[in-house]
Amino acid sequence: MTTVLNKQSTKDGVFDGLGRALGEYKIAALTKKDGKVLFDYVTDVRKIEQDYTPTVLSPKKFFFPQEEVILEYTFDGKVTAKTNPEKIVLFGVRPCDITGIKILDEAFSESHGDPNYLSKRENSVIIGIDCKSVCDEDAFCYRVNSQNPESGFDIMLHDIGNNYSMTIMTDKGRDFAENYFDSSLFDYAALAKFNIEKKEAFAKAGGPWEDLDNLPEIFEENSNHKIWETEAERCLSCGSCIMVCPTCYCFDVIDELALSMKVGDRLRRWDACMLRSFAEVAGGENFREEVENRVKHRINRKFNFLMKKHGQSVCVGCGRCVRACLADISPVTIVEELIKTSKTLKLEVKNNNLYLPEKVTITRIEQFTENEKFFEVEFDNGRSLGHEPGQFVQLSILGIGEAAISISSPPSYGNRFEMVIRAVGDVTNKLKTFKTGENLFIRGPFGHGFDEKIQKEMEGKHILYIAGGIGYVPLRSLINLTLKHPEKYEKLSILYGCKTPSARMFTDELEYIAEMRNNVEILETVDISEDKWLQHCGLITELIPMVDFNPDNTIAIICGPPVMYKYVIQTLKKQRLTTNNMFVSLERRMKCGVGKCGHCQIDDIYVCQEGPVFRFSDIENKEEAL
Amino acid sequence: MNKPKVAFFDFTSCEGCQLSILNLETELLQLLDIIDIVEFREAMSEKSSTYDIAIIEGSFSRDKDLKRLKKIRETASVVIAMGACAHIGGINSLRNNQTREGVQKIVYPDNPALYETNKKALPVSAAIKVDAFIPGCPVDVGEFVKVVKNLVLGKAPGLPTYPVCVECKMNENTCVYELGKTCLGPVVRAGCNAICISNGGVCIGCRGLIPNPNINSQKDIMEKYGLDMNLIMDSMNLFMTEENKAKEV
Repeated sequence: MTTVLNKQSTKDGVFDGLGRALGEYKIAALTKKDGKVLFDYVTDVRKIEQDYTPTVLSPKKFFFPQEEVILEYTFDGKVTAKTNPEKIVLFGVRPCDITGIKILDEAFSESHGDPNYLSKRENSVIIGIDCKSVCDEDAFCYRVNSQNPESGFDIMLHDIGNNYSMTIMTDKGRDFAENYFDSSLFDYAALAKFNIEKKEAFAKAGGPWEDLDNLPEIFEENSNHKIWETEAERCLSCGSCIMVCPTCYCFDVIDELALSMKVGDRLRRWDACMLRSFAEVAGGENFREEVENRVKHRINRKFNFLMKKHGQSVCVGCGRCVRACLADISPVTIVEELIKTSKTLKLEVKNNNLYLPEKVTITRIEQFTENEKFFEVEFDNGRSLGHEPGQFVQLSILGIGEAAISISSPPSYGNRFEMVIRAVGDVTNKLKTFKTGENLFIRGPFGHGFDEKIQKEMEGKHILYIAGGIGYVPLRSLINLTLKHPEKYEKLSILYGCKTPSARMFTDELEYIAEMRNNVEILETVDISEDKWLQHCGLITELIPMVDFNPDNTIAIICGPPVMYKYVIQTLKKQRLTTNNMFVSLERRMKCGVGKCGHCQIDDIYVCQEGPVFRFSDIENKEEAL
Repeated sequence: MNKPKVAFFDFTSCEGCQLSILNLETELLQLLDIIDIVEFREAMSEKSSTYDIAIIEGSFSRDKDLKRLKKIRETASVVIAMGACAHIGGINSLRNNQTREGVQKIVYPDNPALYETNKKALPVSAAIKVDAFIPGCPVDVGEFVKVVKNLVLGKAPGLPTYPVCVECKMNENTCVYELGKTCLGPVVRAGCNAICISNGGVCIGCRGLIPNPNINSQKDIMEKYGLDMNLIMDSMNLFMTEENKAKEV
């Protein structure tokens, strides 16, 4: 590295010089081929495109090609390493891609230097062309500060009209400029003007993310954020984002034997962590089988894992993945959502008074039955509830009071959640008069629900949900969570009993579940039949023998009116299900929600703390339990 | 090295895959250094009652073919389904959503009885166990050579499980969706080097779905780009009627 030199040349002088260099170097530059603009070798410098259009692939392909031979061998054991360096000039690389090359330089040089990449880099001269403004609406270089690289190139050209002002960064650049570019008098004022105009244009576009330097911590904090799931749902796992990324450098290694079966090559080819098979080992185990894990991994590599190593965002904001993604998944959306969430998280810690409720706005109300209404609410401060299925909140109306209400939506439902409320007390009766857009107050989530340990225990088992009446509501959170991945369970059987057909809730969902088939089944019963009711009529316990289950691999999850538990549990015991494979969700009066007020105690247990979800074997000997 | 004996068989198909293999010409001679071709109706008149590897082109569409397929399965230690018809049912399975009588009337309007066929045209795997497949309509001959080579070496066939987009991007094609067309590349198995798109076309799915395709997202995208559900299903069903059925359930 040498001191930075500033020179200047006419544009014609630069292109004439490149033309002369063609004898000694291959020249790769922006050019048109079959109607598309891309970086490719040119044999005539007049074919170089001067206006920049973002290309599908970045120029990293000249140092780390899509596929290259790394070894040649004969079947009798002669092995030769191949590096294939050629002297090239890479002309017209834009700042974002230069920042990308800088990152690849670091990645391929650390610990074991990569001979194939490094030999190509050593033999190359990189001449950049500076951007004076943001190239299109998908580029976000200014968010990650990649528009002003200080290495990763030899010469940077700044367009100052008829001339290029040149910033020469390396000895290689100095020698090349001396040999090939005519020097005119360096106009410092013109370069300063360029730099000021550039700075203004990028600042106008928005400037860097305020929390850019903290992204690794923000990503750590938000590893379970719902956005991972919502983005993964649309992701095709097509690998396009990786193929076009200037800083992705994972590869596969493949042996290819010639048809003679006597000689062969070992190739390396671009690979992509977004592809399902990427982390699959020979035995078939896949360490990143879920799309969500792969999306998380890719984005974390850019803004967390590798950012810590390189000391800068490893996403250079070129926008290629945004343009390439048919499902409209963008790092910008993800980063900005996580920044937003981490801000509200910090706010929360400041407001952590146990009894201080947070304001929510009612976003949707549906009348389910005569006495039961469905409410969807949203936190005004944008936070998400972050609950586990089976937990509850304390809902309050100022001036009336607080009531414990179970949560009926599955986790990761954004900053909204759902409840079904039966008008039985002061708070819930008052609630009947509330309309969409009005505010309520919430504390929580509280209690012990179906935590990750229980959820893990359920995998591979036959799950028997037994819900009576409004007992379906707290179970729905878990039911809907498991219905997202029914393949994780041997079978999901949902037994739902109501007084009358018109007392059934979530009827659309019940219909949907009934159509799911495969290993999902739903059996319903009503106490009193009405017209058009074609299903079972009778007690919910009558449904249990209709399910074919192996008691050694079954977990029953029960929630309903107090009278129901005793008979359901008796019936299950008759079918040889042991009580450690039964979970119950219990209802109690609760005032504080945090194990203090004493209302919910069963013997020595606070339902609001250790429950409302219990493994039945843990409480079956408690006199007060049922 | 003992050269394995290879026999080619055809069922309901255009026999274009076998023709592609004959077009290998110079490589075909090299191929004969590692395998012995003992039966290949399109290229030779000899037949053989023993063989190690059976390569089957065409879909299974007549009950009377079952006996012959079972015989092949009993004789060969490795059975390869070659080409879209054998691999996934292919174009033939387009008729699986219509009635047999309707189809017979279209093909032989004067004498439908001449056309003996089952209700459905199915992949070979619907009749017998298949050990490997070579996708495509027609097969990519490079891939054919690769699979044969890998079998001789005792390796797995080594087909990609990723979609066409990967190869399309490596070729630096402009995405056809940007050009106002729709394409099945995101859910269809690569290995063809995105040949259709690289030559001005779009992917129509002859190589079948990748394992775990995100069909819902693919449909949403096609809808976003202006196709209605009928057109989407027409496009997805051209080669993959049977595969799409298997995904629905």
